[in-house]
Amino acid sequence: MLTLRDIRRSFGSTTAVDGLSLQVQAGEVFGLLGPNGAGKSTTIAIATGLLRPDAGSVDLLGLGSPADAEVRRHLGLAPQEIALYGELTARENLRFLADLYGLADARSRVEGLLAMVELDARADDRTEGFSGGMKRRLNLAAALVHGPRLVMLDEPTAGVDPQSRNRILELVRTLAAGGTTVLYTTHYMEEAAKLCDRVGIIDHGRMLDVGTVPELLARHGGTAGEASDLESAFLALTGRSLRE
Amino acid sequence: MRSVLAIARKDLRLMFRDKGDVFFTFVFPVLLAMLFGFVFRGAATGGSRIAVALVVESDSRIAAGLAEDLAGDASLDVRRVTTREEATDGVRDGTFTAAIILPQSMQAGADRLFSGGSIPIEAIIDPVRRAEAGLIQGKLNELAFRQFPKLLADDAQSKRMFQSMREAIAASKDMGAAQKLAAGALIATAESFVKSMPAGDGGSKPAAGGAGAAWSPVQVRMQELPPRTGVPRSSFDVSVPQGMVWGIAGCVGAFAASVVTERSRGTLVRLRLAPITRAHLLAGKGLACFVTALLVELLLIVLAVTLVGTRVAQPGMLALACVLSAFAFAGLAMLIAGFCRTEAEANGAGRGALLLLALIGGGTIPLFFMPPILQTLSYASPFRWAVIAIEGPLWRDVAPAAQVTPLVVLAGLGFGGFAAGSRLGAFRDAR
Repeated sequence: MLTLRDIRRSFGSTTAVDGLSLQVQAGEVFGLLGPNGAGKSTTIAIATGLLRPDAGSVDLLGLGSPADAEVRRHLGLAPQEIALYGELTARENLRFLADLYGLADARSRVEGLLAMVELDARADDRTEGFSGGMKRRLNLAAALVHGPRLVMLDEPTAGVDPQSRNRILELVRTLAAGGTTVLYTTHYMEEAAKLCDRVGIIDHGRMLDVGTVPELLARHGGTAGEASDLESAFLALTGRSLRE
Repeated sequence: MRSVLAIARKDLRLMFRDKGDVFFTFVFPVLLAMLFGFVFRGAATGGSRIAVALVVESDSRIAAGLAEDLAGDASLDVRRVTTREEATDGVRDGTFTAAIILPQSMQAGADRLFSGGSIPIEAIIDPVRRAEAGLIQGKLNELAFRQFPKLLADDAQSKRMFQSMREAIAASKDMGAAQKLAAGALIATAESFVKSMPAGDGGSKPAAGGAGAAWSPVQVRMQELPPRTGVPRSSFDVSVPQGMVWGIAGCVGAFAASVVTERSRGTLVRLRLAPITRAHLLAGKGLACFVTALLVELLLIVLAVTLVGTRVAQPGMLALACVLSAFAFAGLAMLIAGFCRTEAEANGAGRGALLLLALIGGGTIPLFFMPPILQTLSYASPFRWAVIAIEGPLWRDVAPAAQVTPLVVLAGLGFGGFAAGSRLGAFRDAR
């Protein structure tokens, strides 16, 4: 589905991604974990085609680089920062994106998504008045407007209440059950343990290890199924020193 | 194309939901155009008195009396001129609101006052000053009526009048002998009554709406000058392009900032992820700015035509000038957007630069009032070229060849702005 091969990217003298390779299989939920500054956001930006790598290649669906508009069409992104127009209503936000992608069934698609994220009752309210959880749900819906085959969710539960978090996790499971591939970044180890089929842990721009949660626990200590154990494995791989 | 329209529609929605942008793009320029228009008009006409040129061609007493009363009227600023041509030129160049001519035929009209004649008075008015023209017509009727008691108190005049009546009755074929006899007796009685009247200035005014009004012994012939060319017909001809300058400046500022805002709020990522090219993004943003600038221009022109009587000399050329100036400033908005990396830059430096360009480009002081050094500086301002391109077909009525330079400059600014902007900042990041 998504293949990153030996990706390198520097910003001045700082190396953000240093020879990272990654393969996300079709239909899986892949968790990308790493401490702050590990290179997750840069990796996502390169994987979406937003950023050109200094070296290496990206391939989506065997179609080529997402720098190509037609390849990019199969990709959805819910950025970590809420990316919505506050002065527009929830419906207008989604409708704009549907029109941007030239969807023929824009109206039904938008209504379906509003119902899915349970914002249909507030569809005609401006999003600037929404709570953090509502914005997160709409941010997720915005990534799904065009029905992408791969969705990248960059910390989609950051700063939301337990109810919204629970709803977002359910939505991710629903997406995966429907055949959508999900690349998921998070700081919450229990989310990764519950949700992800495979997890990759990166630090200093390098992929430290990739595997299922039980495989990672087997290699780096701890007991399968325990969120705290995944955290132990994470700390064992990335170290305990504080990051910027 | 659908994605371009989607971006433009979204940006227009965002613009119209921002009260500040709406105010500075649509309301402020209209207020400014009206304010400047009224301020300049007051200065041109010497305050509230109506400037009138008076030509006295008749040496009759009634003409002299009317001229005297006109000069003494507090609402009129009357200046005697010697010829009709001089008076007409004064109206044409805006020195006078109207010209009043007391023709030689006044005496003949007065002589036939009770035998089918009327006292002729002519007035030449500027077509854009119709409101004042109505006042002048009313004033002429009032002052002419005031002359009647003087007219009747003048022995020679009244003799000529009654003699004229007797001759008209004698020549009448519709009246029988008995009717002619009765009418002659009536005239004799009236003549005795007039002779018995005490001499005086007869300053009493005729009752409004009385018999005199229906009779209309005074015939005020109002003549509109053909629309002037090459000079502003009113101060609004000058202030409307100024209003456009400020409206377009507000519009450019709003859209230049909107591109930067896309980046700061993260929505630029969504735009860049969509299957659109840099050209789509630029075209969508530019289209929204272009439509808004065009709306500002249209709004001001419609208000000028409907509210203050502005007449467009060349509608087709004006439409072209508006389209090209909107295109030029859409390009300028994209250029500024490309230069600015933060909202603070866009709102500070971007709008500041626009303000400066608008000031030296004729936004505050009309270009033809500027001292030479400022006029030279104004060549650097896109607003100057927009003002010239719009004034040309609006009131200057210039030849098409004279429009070529400003229109070409505007088109060049538009293309240049889009081309340069696309290689900078937010647009550079897009593909």
